[in-house]
Amino acid sequence: MSGNGDDTDFDASDFDESGSDQSGAPEFQGGAWLRGSGPDSDIAICTRVRLARNLVGYHFSPQLAEEQARQLRDFVIDRLQKPGLPEQLAIVDLDSIDELERSVLVERHLISRELATSRRPRAAAIDSDESVAIMVNEEDHLRMQVFESGLELDGAWRRAERLDDALMQRLPIAWSEEFGFQTSCPTNTGTGLRLSVMLHLPGLVWSEDIERATNVAQKIHLAVRGLYGEGSRALGDFYQVSNQITLGRDEEQIIDDVRLAVGRIVTWEREVREALLRGAARARTLDRIHRALGTIERAQILTSEESLGCLSALRLGLEEKVLSGFTVADVNRALLLSQPGHLQRESRQRLDPDERDERRARLVREVLRVQL
Amino acid sequence: MQYCSACQTALASVVILDLDDGAVTGSQHLCPTCAEQLGVAQPKTPPKFSAEILEDLLGGLQAPGAGSAAGSEAGNEDSAAETGSAGKPRRGAARQQADACPGCGMTVSEFRSKGRLGCPRCYETYRNDLVPLLQRIHEAQSHRGRLPGRLAAAPPATDERDLAQLRQRLEDAVRGERYEEAAKLRDDLRRLERGESSEGTHS
Ligand SMILES: [Zn+2]
Ligand SMILES: [Zn+2]
Repeated sequence: MSGNGDDTDFDASDFDESGSDQSGAPEFQGGAWLRGSGPDSDIAICTRVRLARNLVGYHFSPQLAEEQARQLRDFVIDRLQKPGLPEQLAIVDLDSIDELERSVLVERHLISRELATSRRPRAAAIDSDESVAIMVNEEDHLRMQVFESGLELDGAWRRAERLDDALMQRLPIAWSEEFGFQTSCPTNTGTGLRLSVMLHLPGLVWSEDIERATNVAQKIHLAVRGLYGEGSRALGDFYQVSNQITLGRDEEQIIDDVRLAVGRIVTWEREVREALLRGAARARTLDRIHRALGTIERAQILTSEESLGCLSALRLGLEEKVLSGFTVADVNRALLLSQPGHLQRESRQRLDPDERDERRARLVREVLRVQL
Repeated sequence: MQYCSACQTALASVVILDLDDGAVTGSQHLCPTCAEQLGVAQPKTPPKFSAEILEDLLGGLQAPGAGSAAGSEAGNEDSAAETGSAGKPRRGAARQQADACPGCGMTVSEFRSKGRLGCPRCYETYRNDLVPLLQRIHEAQSHRGRLPGRLAAAPPATDERDLAQLRQRLEDAVRGERYEEAAKLRDDLRRLERGESSEGTHS
């Protein structure tokens, strides 16, 4: 599962100990995920558009022989570097950076874990804002992703559409009238569009309305899953809502579906938050938020699960003006930097889970400036 | 043909794909018994498509009435291909389906076991199998939306009264949390805004 914050997910077994050399990967500043801005950003963290595209004349990536995979990658990179693209992209050679650096890119949602661990010749093209990332030779020849902060469906789509237009002009994209864009997996056939919104829903989780709320999305064939953690368990109350259907519905309909469901969930979350901070419920809610702060301030060992739970409470406290002293952007940064890949890169060594938990406790205090 | 990854003894007929963001990150092949025990054989109601469990999709491509799924998988590739194309009355069934894709060499049985296509030409090669698969995944069989060469269409004029009425019904549906109805009304609204009279006029 990509974007997975779970410790067990990162396998550092063949990690190169000479990881102090950081020259390989560009230094990213942290993009749309971190800003804590944009429409409805009290609840919607980030919007992502992903388009799957393939070239004619090649097998789909999973079926490509190594030599063809290399050829395709080099061809695509060459075309991406021609002037006139609406985005400024830097090519990242995933073979020249070590496993930790690749893990960092995964945790930043710029590449998938599948691409990071793949043995086939591959590449990524990423802009310096981390708001556009193109994966080459993932499951499809091209997987374009555009990120915008907050709930920004139209903005993200328009940007993706422009990039798609430009790519279709410089690459022979596979499509047919009947099936639309042809993809390796039939679950992406048609528009090849996967539109996702990442949501922070502590109110709905705490009030136990979350299941009913996510049903809203599922009723119109959207998927709701946890952003961190395995399976249906959403650590830290972070969720991702995305369309499942890519065939028979055009882009506008897909955007409208997501807008309908996410709009309803956001409103619901706001109502619940209000209720949680009113009357008899208020004391319990404040207690929960301040206990989380107490844990972050004092804990010497923080598992990723506990850390996500605490940071979720702090984010709610900030959004509802119950806490101050640090910002939502700080919390977002703590969420990102406390993931295994980032923790290990920052300390420039492989760490076992116990060591990571210790470092995580320290790092979160530092990022939030809550050192006692 | 593949053995059940749970019991390792029976032949697998159910494939569970681990999906992340639509990308298949892993798969599990199970026999019907184990699938049932693991609670994946029957989709939870309502009968919506769940990306986590593309359960039984590939089993569904086998000939109906072939008895146990293990039986239908037991044949060699050629006979599996035959039962697959002859068993079901479907659009274009008269057309003979090739045993291997001329574009990439992927065989029918490979396509059926993986549920993945090997190259763009597989879409034509395995069209007979693909259309019902797409129907089950997307509840649709053909594309709407942008394509190279028809990137944009200008929205023509429409009757304002119908629009206002539809908008009102849409709002009511959302307020009443009748989301399925709302989604349909919203589609009608869009079509009207584009000046299309009914579904399916795009192609
Ligand atoms: Zn079994
Ligand atoms: Zn093929």
